[in-house]
Amino acid sequence: MKFLAVWVLLLSALLPVVAGLAGTVQLDTAAWSELFKTPGLVQSLTLSVWTGSVASVLALALAHVVLAAAVTGGWSGRLRAASLPLLATPHLAVGIGLTLVLAPSGLLLRFLSPWATGFTQPPDWATIQDPLGLALILGLVIKEAPFLLLALFAALGQVPAERLVLQTRTLGYGRLKGWLVAVAPLLQRQIRLPVAAVLVFGMTNVEMALPLGPRTPPPLALVLWQWFTSADLDMRPLAMAGSVLLMLASLGMLGLFMLAGRLVGRVWRFSAGSGRRVTSASGGLMPGGLAVVVGTLGLASIIALLLRSIAGPWRFPAVLPEHLDPAAWSSAASVLPGVAGLTLALGATTALLAVLLVLAAAEPLRSDAVLRQRVAMLLFVPLLIPQMSFLFGLQILLLKLRLDGTLAAVVWSHLVFALPYVWGLLAEARASLDPRFTDTARLLGAGRLRVWLTVTAPLLLRSTLLGLALAFGVSVAVYLPTLFAGGGRVATLATSAAAAMTAGDMRYAAAHGAAQALLPLTAFVAAVVLGRVVFRRRLGVPG
Amino acid sequence: MLLVARLAPAVAGDATVTPVPAAAWAMVEEEARGQTVYFNAWGGDEAINRYVAWAAQVIKARHGVILQHVPLADTAEAVSRVLAEKAAGRTRDGSVDLIWINGENFASLRQAGLLSGPWVAALPNAPLLDTHGNPTTVVDMTLPTAGYELAWGSARYTLFYDSQVVLVPPRDPAGLLAWIRAHPGRFTYPQPPNFLGTSFLKQLLFLLSPELARARFAAPVGADFDALTQPLWAWLDSAHPHMWRTGRIFPASGPAQRRLLGDGEVDFAMGFNPAEASRAISRGELPGSIRGVFFSGGTLTNSHFLAIPFNARAKAGAMVVANFLISPEAQARKADERIWGDPTVLLVSTLAPGDVARFATLRRGPATPESVGRGFAEPHPSWIRALEKAWNRRYGVR
Amino acid sequence: MSGLVLQSVTVSVGARQLVGPLDLSVTPGQVVSILGPSGAGKSSLLAFLCGVLPPPLHAQGTVLLNGDNISNLPPEQRRLGILFQDDLLFPHLSVAGNLAFGLRSASNRRDRGRIISDALAGFGLAGYETRDPATLSGGERSRVALLRVLLSAPRAVLLDEPFSRLDPATRQTIRALTLAQLRARSLPALLVSHDVDDVVAAGGPVVRVGNA
Repeated sequence: MKFLAVWVLLLSALLPVVAGLAGTVQLDTAAWSELFKTPGLVQSLTLSVWTGSVASVLALALAHVVLAAAVTGGWSGRLRAASLPLLATPHLAVGIGLTLVLAPSGLLLRFLSPWATGFTQPPDWATIQDPLGLALILGLVIKEAPFLLLALFAALGQVPAERLVLQTRTLGYGRLKGWLVAVAPLLQRQIRLPVAAVLVFGMTNVEMALPLGPRTPPPLALVLWQWFTSADLDMRPLAMAGSVLLMLASLGMLGLFMLAGRLVGRVWRFSAGSGRRVTSASGGLMPGGLAVVVGTLGLASIIALLLRSIAGPWRFPAVLPEHLDPAAWSSAASVLPGVAGLTLALGATTALLAVLLVLAAAEPLRSDAVLRQRVAMLLFVPLLIPQMSFLFGLQILLLKLRLDGTLAAVVWSHLVFALPYVWGLLAEARASLDPRFTDTARLLGAGRLRVWLTVTAPLLLRSTLLGLALAFGVSVAVYLPTLFAGGGRVATLATSAAAAMTAGDMRYAAAHGAAQALLPLTAFVAAVVLGRVVFRRRLGVPG
Repeated sequence: MLLVARLAPAVAGDATVTPVPAAAWAMVEEEARGQTVYFNAWGGDEAINRYVAWAAQVIKARHGVILQHVPLADTAEAVSRVLAEKAAGRTRDGSVDLIWINGENFASLRQAGLLSGPWVAALPNAPLLDTHGNPTTVVDMTLPTAGYELAWGSARYTLFYDSQVVLVPPRDPAGLLAWIRAHPGRFTYPQPPNFLGTSFLKQLLFLLSPELARARFAAPVGADFDALTQPLWAWLDSAHPHMWRTGRIFPASGPAQRRLLGDGEVDFAMGFNPAEASRAISRGELPGSIRGVFFSGGTLTNSHFLAIPFNARAKAGAMVVANFLISPEAQARKADERIWGDPTVLLVSTLAPGDVARFATLRRGPATPESVGRGFAEPHPSWIRALEKAWNRRYGVR
Repeated sequence: MSGLVLQSVTVSVGARQLVGPLDLSVTPGQVVSILGPSGAGKSSLLAFLCGVLPPPLHAQGTVLLNGDNISNLPPEQRRLGILFQDDLLFPHLSVAGNLAFGLRSASNRRDRGRIISDALAGFGLAGYETRDPATLSGGERSRVALLRVLLSAPRAVLLDEPFSRLDPATRQTIRALTLAQLRARSLPALLVSHDVDDVVAAGGPVVRVGNA
């Protein structure tokens, strides 16, 4: 029974999904035939596939190239710090912010008008919600590239990067090319699951598609969202059938990506064999430039959102609003503390549970990489299925168990989405601890428990703190799980921000969105600072 | 709840109903004391949220009932929840006690047996409703409310425009079409199936149809749908190429379009609350040059309602809350444009002098149009579905 | 019978036998050297003796220490000490913290502190109590690691190429110190090494291990 902890972990993560799917997936031929009669279905599906895959590929390429330039150029620390704000800000907030930048009446054109463009009224251009989904792709890249970057950073610990780059340099390769040839493929192997999650999110998300995606027709996920929330209850079986279709499509794309990945790997090795040793002289410049552009857009989105939240009247082409009016913040001040407090409590509970479950299960698997990988894949399953596909069935199950609307149910639903990330971080951290430390400790006379408490746990402290912050961040960000599991009685910053967002009350929404972003950001900073401080006089501690 | 059932007379919404005996209502209040009422209401407007918070304070002080506002992004969330509870067999202790709904939701909720009632006639304030002057308070999209939902506020379809650019606002379809063609890229409407967008279609359909055809809309959709809607599609076909984004992209909601108006991307917006532009101006969301106007041929009117789900845990509490919300005090405050500006459902002239004074002191904001011409009642709910489907087929897919 | 005795010890992975069957007896103060090609299972043998053999490896045989059968005891009860190639000083503890970790004698803090200070002084590391192990030189770290093992009062010591990471000059010093300490305490020891000088200095019997 030494794997008891592992089973508990897997059950916690997968039981809701399995139960939910069972409730949602129904063989309703009437609904399916109705589904296929929907006008624009093929276009919606194609749009989902197109935007999801292109955004994922671009985000991945960008992350790799920027990482390579940053590490070889020595600015990886600054890169990590700079990507934190984007990581912490929720998708919906970034999406809305981006529309405030890219729209014809947005910040970008305001800066350029009328002196460069001659516009006194916003031009009738489709820069957002364009039919090809380019704005949506851009929004996804802005959010997902930092995420993949973080995954790559984490994977760096498993790869002897410096040694490999050194080897390539002795062979005459420039630093950047050497990295891309020797290190990047190894890193890529480590981050397959995060890439899969990014792909599925790209194809099935509502948060980015709502502000940025095309509308005639919308991506399939948005269509399903409209059906699920329609006043016409007859649309629900249609929505359930549609979510199964979406799930099949995302599974298909995952398979395609796996094959494509192998092909790319082969081509890469081939081109590596070409012997071309040095990238252009400005090797690190282009990736650096790209990073700056994407990062600036992301930061501009956040700033635009915050500015709009306190802006008074603000007509085109004024770059700044006529005057500031923090009315939204003061009115939100009455509601905010309660909602923020609950969000904080839920996040803290989720974080603690996630870390405990993972640490307990990581222990028996510390030397078995294969099993660890299997657990990682299983934990990622909830991220590889469109949320709606199982949340509706899950709600029915919770109702039957009289658990809906309870904080416990909400925490559990958050846990499901936090576990894969915490596992990826902590299980690997545990496994990468030199086993001889614990061997030595045992031989010095300490029993298993004492060894764990006095040797393993302190050495994992920094990773644990990050894991706590990670789980906390996930809990604060999720919207649909809170909505369904909470039976609508649990109001977090995410649900109140979404409510305000759909209403179009930008200032109220921005106030909540900003608060929603501040919580995880604070948690991350606290985790990093605390980790540094605790062992500030012990230079040899990992993390 | 036996108490509630005993109090509800057979006929509701009839102005001649005798007031409920005070003792009977006292029992409801007694039962309600200490209950927590989960009020599921759209929470996207912080002014409305503050109004509900005010109501909660008063209700707590006076009746000992705790009104818990559950803000929703969309009413359909509450509908889903009640539906899921019914599917799971939960016939008591539901999580929703009171829902704020409008037309489309009522029909589906009623048909699915998800509502409790009739209960409206049991409220002491029910006789104050202006059921004759405003029939939409008792007939919700051609469906009689039959005491299953209580009218809370009134709505009229209003057109808002920037008076600096639009010097003479068009007030009929022909004039609007002419204006659109003369000013390409400056007009749009929310994309159906958004409620406001679909209502734009309904409004146009009424105005473009001859008088005789209009009576047809009260009955369910039939085989003559294409023939009857032909003028509407013809109008849209002419107008779309000259609209914002050449009619290929539409704003997602009324507030989204209001944002476009405020940013100067378009010159028109629409809404169901005639006071919403004035409120937006006072909050600095819209420039001071915005004005509101009704279509001259008649304007789409409806009411929005409060309903109690079949399995509500705090039915008595919900009734006490509802009764307060249609009290003159609460309705006057609601109609105050500085607070919310939502038109009242009460027949003000029959109120007590003190209450009449409450309404008399309310000021109309700069963008709120002068009261009304003719009103069109909403068509049968099946028209909404049919219009949305047809629109989607024609314009929803490029 | 005192000393470390191995009886019919085999270490295998799957069906492949890496080591053994091995019969070996190490008397107190004796240092038996174990030689063999890389990957032959020498380290695995030591791991088995410690009781920390990781799967998929498995082993059989009996291990006696001063007459007690320790084959089935958990590692913390075997009273064995081990020194690895890397010093493996706990990075989160100070030098004194590391030394105190396995300290068996004396229960009150002042006594323990005194014992540690005296031990450090004896090894030329006076005043190093509060130092961060990561700031010590290679030689200093080896000395602390040796001290740590000795302070846990083992009844036998296993050495897994403990000097190979040190530079030649330090290696000689540390090797001499280690072997002298082992002899002085009459501890039986097993030394795994590639280095001929190590074997010569150990001066004990040599066992070849590893079925090719």
